[in-house]
Amino acid sequence: MAERPQSLAEHAAQTDADRREIRELERVWARPPGIIGWFTDTDHKAIALRYVVTAFVFFILGGIEAALMRIQLARPENHFLSADLYNQVFTVHGTTMMFLFAVPIMTALGIYLVPLMVGTRDVAFPRLNNYGYFVYLIGGILLYVAFFLNTGPDAGWFSYVPLSGPGYSPGKRVDIWAQMISFTEISALCGAVVVIGTVFKMRAPGMSLHRLPLFVWAQLVTSFMIIFAMPAVMLASSLLASDRLIDTHFFNPAEGGDAILYQHMFWFFGHPEVYIIFIPALGFISSIVVTFSRRRIFGYTAMVLSLIATAFLGFGLWVHHMFATPLPQLGQSFFTAASMMIAIPSGVQIFCWIATLWGAKLNVKTPLLFVLGFVAIFVMGGLTGVMLASVPLNLQIHDTFFVVAHLHYVLIGGAVFPLFGAFYYWFPKWTGRLLSERLGRWNFALMFIGFNLVFFPMHQLGLNGMPRRVYTYLPETGWANLNLLASVGALILAIGVLFFIVNCFWARRSGVVAGDNPWGADTLEWSLASPPPDYNFFRIPVVEGGYALWDRSQEIPVVIGLSSTKRETLVTSVVDAVPELRYELPGPSLWPVLLSLATAETFIVGIFTAWAFAIGAVLTFAVFIGWFFGDPNYENVDAKEPPEPRDAADALQYLRSEEV
Amino acid sequence: MNTRPVIDVSDLPHHGFDTVDTIWWGNNLLLAIETSMFAILIATYFYLRQNISPWPPPLAQLTAPFSPLPGLGFGTANALVLLLSCLVMMWVDLSARRGSQGATQRGLIICLVFAFIAIILRSFEFRAVKFRWDSNAYGSVVWFILGMHMLHLITLTCETVLLTGWALTRDFDMKHRVDITALAVYWYWVAGIWMVLYAVVYWAPRFS
Amino acid sequence: MIAKRQIAQVESFGRWYFRRARLRWLVLVAALLFLNGCGGFQSVLNPGGPQSEHISRLWWFMLFVSTAVFLLVMISLWLAVNSRTKPTNSSPEKETVGTKGRKGLIVILATGVTVAILFAFMVDSFLVGRGLTAELERKQGLNIEITGHQWWWEVRYQDVDASSIFTTANEIHIPVGVPVTFSLKASDVIHSFWVPNLHGKKDLIPGKISTIWLQADRPGVYRGQCAEYCGHQHAHMALWIFAEPLEQFDAWRRAQIQSAVSPASASEQKGQQVFLSSACVMCHAINGTPAGANFGPNLTHLATRKTIAAATLANDRSHLQQWVDDSQQVKPGNRMPANKLRPEDMQALLDYLQSLK
Repeated sequence: MAERPQSLAEHAAQTDADRREIRELERVWARPPGIIGWFTDTDHKAIALRYVVTAFVFFILGGIEAALMRIQLARPENHFLSADLYNQVFTVHGTTMMFLFAVPIMTALGIYLVPLMVGTRDVAFPRLNNYGYFVYLIGGILLYVAFFLNTGPDAGWFSYVPLSGPGYSPGKRVDIWAQMISFTEISALCGAVVVIGTVFKMRAPGMSLHRLPLFVWAQLVTSFMIIFAMPAVMLASSLLASDRLIDTHFFNPAEGGDAILYQHMFWFFGHPEVYIIFIPALGFISSIVVTFSRRRIFGYTAMVLSLIATAFLGFGLWVHHMFATPLPQLGQSFFTAASMMIAIPSGVQIFCWIATLWGAKLNVKTPLLFVLGFVAIFVMGGLTGVMLASVPLNLQIHDTFFVVAHLHYVLIGGAVFPLFGAFYYWFPKWTGRLLSERLGRWNFALMFIGFNLVFFPMHQLGLNGMPRRVYTYLPETGWANLNLLASVGALILAIGVLFFIVNCFWARRSGVVAGDNPWGADTLEWSLASPPPDYNFFRIPVVEGGYALWDRSQEIPVVIGLSSTKRETLVTSVVDAVPELRYELPGPSLWPVLLSLATAETFIVGIFTAWAFAIGAVLTFAVFIGWFFGDPNYENVDAKEPPEPRDAADALQYLRSEEV
Repeated sequence: MNTRPVIDVSDLPHHGFDTVDTIWWGNNLLLAIETSMFAILIATYFYLRQNISPWPPPLAQLTAPFSPLPGLGFGTANALVLLLSCLVMMWVDLSARRGSQGATQRGLIICLVFAFIAIILRSFEFRAVKFRWDSNAYGSVVWFILGMHMLHLITLTCETVLLTGWALTRDFDMKHRVDITALAVYWYWVAGIWMVLYAVVYWAPRFS
Repeated sequence: MIAKRQIAQVESFGRWYFRRARLRWLVLVAALLFLNGCGGFQSVLNPGGPQSEHISRLWWFMLFVSTAVFLLVMISLWLAVNSRTKPTNSSPEKETVGTKGRKGLIVILATGVTVAILFAFMVDSFLVGRGLTAELERKQGLNIEITGHQWWWEVRYQDVDASSIFTTANEIHIPVGVPVTFSLKASDVIHSFWVPNLHGKKDLIPGKISTIWLQADRPGVYRGQCAEYCGHQHAHMALWIFAEPLEQFDAWRRAQIQSAVSPASASEQKGQQVFLSSACVMCHAINGTPAGANFGPNLTHLATRKTIAAATLANDRSHLQQWVDDSQQVKPGNRMPANKLRPEDMQALLDYLQSLK
């Protein structure tokens, strides 16, 4: 820590008083040491990096499963994997990538960057944040322990009934899936509440909503989508689990239950899920495009409205996953229209990015390369998406390898490429060192070529009649050559990812020291040291424009008066970010971890007996008693009676008068 | 780079009521999640209803009771209890805002009594449903609705126990006064959502 | 015919590309991919009837428009990246009002074009969709009931005359030029009926009946495969459709209505005894014998089928033997147990099964 480079904020600390205050802040916000400290830490940066590393490990595991599948499918009637194992592998691959990689890693970047971008010292609910991580970790471990014990779920990441029901999936495989859903969804919901709370209430003065960086907008919109979509899948998996455990009949046609009902519930979550993964990536792209073109984004308002429109439309098109089921035709037409309409906001954003890039002096670094790669891949994925929205065409290509191609084009192209761009972009902020450009270019080139080699031929395979989720195929189908090509591509893609891992390890030790703002970027996190100090901001800045660092005056306006002997930060109003409270945030605590253990007991033992829920309720209540009465000392209990918020009014006056 | 202080926040309060405090937001966001959950559960109820006609299905036995409809008594009583408890909770809410400790303490204890009555009534409500959870899809969904709401009654009771404990034994500080107003929001929500669920469970099958 | 048209399209595409030497390799790859898809007995792009013909026309329309859109976006991206006109210092720049206005116009125009294209797609797909079902209501033809089982297809030819109803499995014969209504049911989990050369897919859902209507205009043999993940052997749940001229179909149908032929030779008679006295009768039916179970495929005319095990294996003696002896080796997880018979019993049984014309 001693060698930490000086941040801009610390340059500002010129007087002895300032230096004393910084020492105080360092002491107050210090992260708890040791292994216990790892469990109790509430620092959003530490939690976010844990999320990133954990999710990336799951990404590698999911990638290994993908590689196993590509080996199996490389030639017809291959016996590399048995049918039973293949079905587990593809289920665990999908489940891992959707629930254990994509959603958590997008949340993770939000948890790291949102407090920094809005100029505050931690998230709004630091302990809830910590709880969310441990619930996620336990859910992931549960899935993989079960998988290695040959109890991996094998009914697909969607677990359609009746195949996943008690009649056709005896054993505990599907129960593992259902409970893992509960874990990851609780975690995602915690993340969403944390992000919304932080964005709404913790913004630095002056950062009214129309000055919010697009990254933060994207995180905000995603969080709201999580809040309305995730309950659907939690309910679906709970009903499935109760059908399996206590003989309810929600999905049993013999007793008035309904198999299609499950599909509606699953896809009411499942389609917004795609946008939950994709919208944060739009935020990464906007950040990268702005920084590397050194331009203000073209059409800020249109971009924000597009994000919001995408979120709304995202809830109106789940039925296009179900066109092959017997449904009324009128309904289908509605969902066709909605599914096609969602191409409009995506199109608008791509046009705006191109307009931003147009005529700018580009600083073509690896993050921007990934963004350019994103545009190429995502546009193709979007166009095949429009094809899938058409009912007649959908009936042909639904549930074939065409869809496998499409979904990887939109998810890898739309989310993973921007994510890698984001890694290259923010890695220096996280670690203080830049990733290698040279390795980065190789990384990009291999991933781009490998990706297209794997997935482009799959369009054709789908048109040639190859259904999804088959563990092998007959030689006479003629699918062998394209499958082999795809498998070769998978190897190249894997080498590309390997380059990234090597690059990370190399850069941790010998990367170029980044300094505060290596890219000359505009958002507030770049005003801090790399990595930022535990308390983030010595003085909460006052934001003077939509591009905080670019629009800054020579003398940076800041907030004073926050306590440096308590974990205090500023709470501001929702729309205009006018100071309202000096709010003390809770610090390190073991209770969130204990709560996550109570949750774990409930769901894991709940696979075997319904009594687990009663025990879990008691345990949870016990934890809450401890949490509530146990350590009141973090809190400033001698809070004064609220005076008139005189200074807040002054602040508003100031913000208005300066027209900043 | 120099800084210039432009806003001094040292006189700002530490807590505030309603939208000012982050607790209010956290609480309401969690309630938004639960509201989505109940909305989807209600949709599930009506979806399953398409499959069973008449809804609820006729009873198998030939002895009384003959009507398969859920008995109205306990559910209606519970609705009244919850509505009444909201009035008490409003009093608690206002007392907490005013800062009158005694009124808050008394009100919270009365609310706790109401909560226990609601839970006891609820356990009778399960019996008023003429089917078990494993009889058919109707039984499953009605039990699930009642059960999920019961879960909230229990959570609400636990939270009230915690805050009552605090109000009786510790300082009546600003932070916990804000917590009590957040509890009140939760209370209104639990009662309000029951009005909807009550209509779905008890009245929807009577109008078909 | 259709393949030819596709090749012509690829070629015209190719000529356009060849003018740009840099992209020549792209053409080769594209041509390879396209040609690979033309023809084929399980292809969306090789329609054998009006339904798939309509859909494939919609596909080509959307493909060409989408390709144009893709190229336009790529070109503008390429131009944007290479469009720096005047050098400036590295401080963040503000664009002039004039440039912003021009760009705004272009963005609005591009959005407008997007909307127009989407509208065209929507209208076209709506019209095609209506065309697929409109004719269904007009015509009356053959009615076939398909029941999906883990992992094979039960095929039942419906008829007003109950004595003309018969059941077979995995191989469906239909007359050319006659509309066929498929009523789809599932006995266990969800399956999906899909013969890409003839029509899109339709799910078979337990507790529900779904209907799909199709017609073959070209005689031919078309392969289909279950398209909804249905568990262990989802990969080996295929079927064949034989589209035949009406007379040929009628002959086949008349033969199928008959009960099974009586065993002629001594070996076949012994084989029948083996069949009736072993576990076979627990699941299979052979009309005209006491065997009447319908858990597995109906074997009355087994020897007329080209394949066994849901279009997985050729129907010959060695495959039959393998299958009867231990089908778990061939299609692991399927519902048929191993049958360890004495060699002479096995040979007799095979003689009998192969006589079931």
